[in-house]
Amino acid sequence: MGSIWKKEIQSYFYTPAAYVFMGVFLVMGSIFFSVGNLTARSSNLNMLLGNLGYLWMLLSPVLTMRLMAGERQQKTDTMLLSSPCSLTGIVLGKFFAAATVLLCTVACTLIYGVIIAFWGKLYVMEAAVGYLGLVLCGCSFLALDLFVSCFARSQMTAVVLGFGANLLCWFSDIVASASTLPALKNVLNFFSLYQRFEPFTQGMLRFSNVLFNVVFCGIMLFLSVRVLDMRRWSEA
Amino acid sequence: MVVFDNISKRYGVHKALDQVSFTVKKGQILGLLGQNGAGKTTAMNIMTGCLAPTQGRVLMGGYDVLLQPGPAKRMLGYLPETAPLYDEMTVEAYLRFACRLKKVETKQMKKHIGQVAEKTGLQDVLGRKIGNLSKGYRQRVGMAQALCGTPDVIILDEPTVGLDPRQASEMRQLILSLRGEHTVIFSSHILSEVQSVCDRVLILHHGKVLCDNDLDALKHRENVLRAVIAGGEQTILPALRSLQKVSRAEVIRGGEPGVTQVRLMVSEEGAERELFTLLSALQAPLLRLQPEENSLEDIFLQTTKEQK
Repeated sequence: MGSIWKKEIQSYFYTPAAYVFMGVFLVMGSIFFSVGNLTARSSNLNMLLGNLGYLWMLLSPVLTMRLMAGERQQKTDTMLLSSPCSLTGIVLGKFFAAATVLLCTVACTLIYGVIIAFWGKLYVMEAAVGYLGLVLCGCSFLALDLFVSCFARSQMTAVVLGFGANLLCWFSDIVASASTLPALKNVLNFFSLYQRFEPFTQGMLRFSNVLFNVVFCGIMLFLSVRVLDMRRWSEA
Repeated sequence: MVVFDNISKRYGVHKALDQVSFTVKKGQILGLLGQNGAGKTTAMNIMTGCLAPTQGRVLMGGYDVLLQPGPAKRMLGYLPETAPLYDEMTVEAYLRFACRLKKVETKQMKKHIGQVAEKTGLQDVLGRKIGNLSKGYRQRVGMAQALCGTPDVIILDEPTVGLDPRQASEMRQLILSLRGEHTVIFSSHILSEVQSVCDRVLILHHGKVLCDNDLDALKHRENVLRAVIAGGEQTILPALRSLQKVSRAEVIRGGEPGVTQVRLMVSEEGAERELFTLLSALQAPLLRLQPEENSLEDIFLQTTKEQK
């Protein structure tokens, strides 16, 4: 797993993927911060973190598209599959590499907190809960998109599928409101990543929401391993 | 070293491999031969654990590739038809990654990469990006990653495809240099290549093994003798056809005048003695007698034709 993680981290920074991801995220984040905090003279950092959550939805496929679909497209997956590394090791190594880039990006946004603390009043615990939510939400999107990437043969397909899956999981509560079937409504509400993220942005730390995100990641990664294994039995 | 035990692979209704079994001994170079779609790549992907068989099992040094993938895959190096290369990496970084995958100790890694690079002729390009290398060098990098970790078994799927004749010859030399130290399984549809590199040939056709034999035995398997005899065809040919241990005798045209060249298909041991006795009685001197080697191309065409 360590070898896969290290290689993926290198690849992220050898190619534009990590720079595009971090660059776009930080530019957009800075615009949100400038408009929502500096211009509005607000010290509410969690409002900014709430807006940053939307960016994960749009940008996480950029990080995950190459993880599985890229390997398949370049036919480099044979090297991994014929190596002594287990399928679980491959999937975890890739996921943690993407999560590392995500954490580095989040770390860069701490500067907003420092600016607020310097010029105004920063509620540290509230901000910490907001950051925890932001990281968990980002990791959930990464795990979801990694899983989706397992089905795609090209990186472009992986991106499109990733956007679709992210939108569905983010806004499934909106879809739920249009549903007339109570059971479906409950299921869609349960799986809404937005519903799980929102309390964090309000500074509310709920164990159930933390657990949901962790279990969601675990299930997506487990399914990714299963898809890779299944492909060995069925693929031509 | 490698046991391919009763393997079948189905894709829907299509049978890519049908109860294929063979074993490869340590240090042997086995050539997998077959037309496109014969099942060579599928067999190799199953050997390396990239695909799972519908039926049967593959043992690598006694370890089942599917049930004990860790130790089994530690014993193998694989170069697929398209070398699995990351264009954005330098050759050295890539080989370092391959070594880490094969669990080469960190302390030994630099020395090991140096040895592998020397073997594959990559010393001068270690710092270059793989994406900027020529096809020949890319294939060598693919070969180098297969050699990382000094695996006992090296599996090469059409390693000379797309190379120019000089590069292909270098690749063949490299494969030959692995003889004895590694067990090599090597697929190709270039017959001369298999003939020049392999100890043993396995011909696959429509997912079935048509022929599995040592190359020498294969070449002599029909036991054909070529004889050059002083004398006229009219006298000699009917006499040769009367021999009990010769099933067929045919004239080869275009020889010197007054000399008859014939191909004799031998059906039993001791045909040479019978031939000498006959020619002596006929007072027709035997100028030359040699066993005829079948070219691999002849064997391949003949074997696959029989099965159509």
